[in-house]
Amino acid sequence: MSDQTDLLQGTLDLLIMHTITLEPLHGWAIAQRIQQISDEMLRVQQGSLYPALHRLEHQGWITAEWGASDNNRRARFYSLTRAGRRQLTTEVSKWERLSAGVNLVLHRT
Amino acid sequence: MRTWHLAVAKLRSVFFRGRREADLGEELQFHLDRETERLVAAGVDLHHARLQARRSFGGVEVVKEESRDSRGTAFIDHLARDTRHAARRLVRDWRFTVAAVAILGLGIGVNAAIFSVINAVLFRPQTVVNPETLVDIYQNGPGGVANLSTYPAYQDMAAYTDIFAGTAATFIPRPVTWSNGAAPRQGMGEHTTATYLDVLGLRPALGRWFTTAEDALNAPPVVVLGYRAWTTRFASDRSVVGRIIRIEGVPVTIVGVAPENHAASVNFGVVTDFWLPMRTLVALGAPPGMFQRGIVEGGFFVKARLRPGVTVARAQAAMTALGVRLAREFPKEDKGAGISVYASRDVRIHPQMDRILTGLAIALLAIVGLVLAIACSNLATLLLVRGAARVKEVSVRLAVGGTRAQLVRHLLTESVLLALAGGAAGCVLAWWTMRWLTTLDLPVVIDFGLDLRVLAFALALSFVTGIVFGLAPALHSTRIELWQTLRDDGDVRASGQRWFSLKNALVVFQVAVSVFLLAATGLALQMVAAGREQRVGYAVDTVAMLETDMRYAVDAADTGRVSTEILKRVAAIPGVEAATLTRGLPMETAGMLIAAEGAADGSRQVGEAANIWAGPGFFETMQIPLLYGRALDARDREGAPRVAVVNEALARRYFGSVNAVGRRFRLEPGPPEWMTIVGVARNAWTNDLGDIVDPVPYMFFRPIEQSRITPTTVVARTTLGSAPLVRSLQIELRRVNERLPVLTAKTMRQVLEDSLQAAQGMAAFFTGLGVLGLTLAGIGLYAVVAFAVARKSREIGIRMALGAGSQQVVWSVARDVAALVAAGTAVGLGLWVVAVLVMRVAPVQTSGVANIQLYQPDVDPLAMLVIAAFTALVGLAAAYVPARRAARLDPLVALRHY
Repeated sequence: MSDQTDLLQGTLDLLIMHTITLEPLHGWAIAQRIQQISDEMLRVQQGSLYPALHRLEHQGWITAEWGASDNNRRARFYSLTRAGRRQLTTEVSKWERLSAGVNLVLHRT
Repeated sequence: MRTWHLAVAKLRSVFFRGRREADLGEELQFHLDRETERLVAAGVDLHHARLQARRSFGGVEVVKEESRDSRGTAFIDHLARDTRHAARRLVRDWRFTVAAVAILGLGIGVNAAIFSVINAVLFRPQTVVNPETLVDIYQNGPGGVANLSTYPAYQDMAAYTDIFAGTAATFIPRPVTWSNGAAPRQGMGEHTTATYLDVLGLRPALGRWFTTAEDALNAPPVVVLGYRAWTTRFASDRSVVGRIIRIEGVPVTIVGVAPENHAASVNFGVVTDFWLPMRTLVALGAPPGMFQRGIVEGGFFVKARLRPGVTVARAQAAMTALGVRLAREFPKEDKGAGISVYASRDVRIHPQMDRILTGLAIALLAIVGLVLAIACSNLATLLLVRGAARVKEVSVRLAVGGTRAQLVRHLLTESVLLALAGGAAGCVLAWWTMRWLTTLDLPVVIDFGLDLRVLAFALALSFVTGIVFGLAPALHSTRIELWQTLRDDGDVRASGQRWFSLKNALVVFQVAVSVFLLAATGLALQMVAAGREQRVGYAVDTVAMLETDMRYAVDAADTGRVSTEILKRVAAIPGVEAATLTRGLPMETAGMLIAAEGAADGSRQVGEAANIWAGPGFFETMQIPLLYGRALDARDREGAPRVAVVNEALARRYFGSVNAVGRRFRLEPGPPEWMTIVGVARNAWTNDLGDIVDPVPYMFFRPIEQSRITPTTVVARTTLGSAPLVRSLQIELRRVNERLPVLTAKTMRQVLEDSLQAAQGMAAFFTGLGVLGLTLAGIGLYAVVAFAVARKSREIGIRMALGAGSQQVVWSVARDVAALVAAGTAVGLGLWVVAVLVMRVAPVQTSGVANIQLYQPDVDPLAMLVIAAFTALVGLAAAYVPARRAARLDPLVALRHY
């Protein structure tokens, strides 16, 4: 079920899943968190965030629950499922291998 | 586990679509609000913050769409949406919808009806226990093909108890008369051995099956009612067991009711009403000789249950050995053709009949399939016309960003929906037809129920129809040049430019097929006419007949006296010139094998001939002239020398000369009793005018007094009109004995007309299909023409403004219609001529069980002319309304509005 086709898409999935390992977050917060942590280097296309969230939810990696946001409004909070955690570790190691490989190639030549 | 989770999620998201949509909207709205808040906190004013939030988010609807799609339920969502959409459109265009559903309903209905007949004959499985260990055994006929077995051969087969756990024989199902106190009726009777039900592994629904002791020549006859007969004729009365009814006039005791799920021993839709012990065949009028070993194949089917572990191949080996033994022991009767064993699963009626039936079924389906083809192409025409009328709408949708694939999907959904509605209408139609068929009091009850297989057939048919015949119009009407159609004068481009358009081709096809079907009607009518023109060679218009069955009213000992009295009274009716007794219908024949005396080898001079039982005065009554010798008369009584009169054809065929008086022949098989020919009659036809396939029947007439059987029929010739005589005959019969039933009372003309029923039925069938087809084609033609006129209104307006008369306008419309109809008629008639030529050269198919020879038709120019005229008339009717509309067009209005 893992999508290896699209690197960019895969990357967004990876970042989303990583962001919500510690605590459940709603969509807007996820986008903000990714931007903050990456020192604004990564900008999440807000338009592609929600399709990604729904896809991940549909695949069963994350679940969503309605909860109250910090300003006390109803928001949809996403958290990792157990299958999602497993998926995250494989995705992380896959990413590390990939980036290590790419780095190797870039620095040797 | 994951699959389960996905499936549940998918289902949930499909079913709770509304809530999911609301959730999605709220979620996105929350995001936008939060982003706005952030921007406001960063110092942007509220208005700009809102705008910026929206801008950085992108199109909300696009995100929604993508989020929905990423859930994987898009396909179902789209399907549901398209279906709702299509249903709404169809309801809005209800006139189009009703027309399309009616057209398809007719097409699919006819097909489902015919298919349910074929289903009953060819597909419906028979209920037996462990069908895999049941086999059918056949003695082979000439050429080693499976035929039917003789009774002694069945007994020899049954002796193989190491191979077979049980063996049963059945006789060919035959119509019988029966009475439950009231007037006798027709029913279907089957004779089986006592072992029959056990071999199949079934239990009677009520009472018991008959025993071996009851299956004896002199045992009092018993009967097991068929389940259907029990429920319909005896009201499911559980107290019927022990009651006595009459079958073929003979009192018979009911001992049980057959299982509900077992209709008959042969599986082609016939329902057996009465199951009788095999040997009661004799008590019910069959000759005892039928249980003998003869040189002809007997009429017995054999079924056997294999012992555990025995294969069909081993049974075949054992039976082959038996065949060899029989050929050795009975060299005269058995020519060593062998014995065949079939797994019962592979046989429906008889291996040879199955082949023929399959061929007939395929032919029948092909013929009604043509009607469906017309209906379908009609639907395609209507869809095309509708598509063309919707050009603007389609253009707008394409212009605002709909893809062609989406549009095609919409149109396809519509046509599939239409086709399904048509299929449903068709099923209702087929169901009505079948119900109507079952209410007819046919002599043979046939179970044509609509079962799941028929429904599946109709459903599949509608689906395929919807997709195949919706696709072309959908593709066609979405291929649009936007700039052209969106311009206001887009309609000006003349539609008559392309001659070989899809619409025209479809109309030509429909007309061609209908014409072909009508031409087939011509063939059937030709057969009827050929039958009528037959020189029958006996008196017809002055003759009337009455058939009764004395066994229902008179003791066996009294029948001679009663029949003499009937004859005497009939002869005394004013106007009657001659009267005689016979059996069955006058000139009704029964095929038999005869052997002529004087042939060195029995086989060469053995052949088929047709028997007629004739009382004294037969030839005078029927006015069949005697060429040599004398007619049968009062001298030819029981005990007198056995004699016969033969016809010219038989004399020439078996004795080499027309004057065969004094020569002798006997029946084969049968007692070695020679019959001396005392007269030769001129050739005459049988009572069956529909039987024009096998022209010169070899006939022999035997004195009914010398038979064991009672006469059933009185025939009289009058000078005062045969119709009143029919009434007089009935009155006289009642005067002799009020309980004597009237089985048939007709003039000879009616008898002959009735014999043409099969051919007439065929003619009616083809006429129905042809007219149905032509009506459908007419509707298609109308749609095309009406549309063309509507489309060309502006052109017509311009023409009229420039001085064209209404006649010229009408002509321009009529010309197109005439061309289409003429093309269709030409194609249809051309195909018909080819078909006739093929039929004329088709080889005669001969097999042991059935002789099928195609009637060799002529190409009938007059019939073709009539068909062409009729088709032209339909074309005229289809073109009339649109043409009139075109002619009445006001140029001013046309130019302004179109």
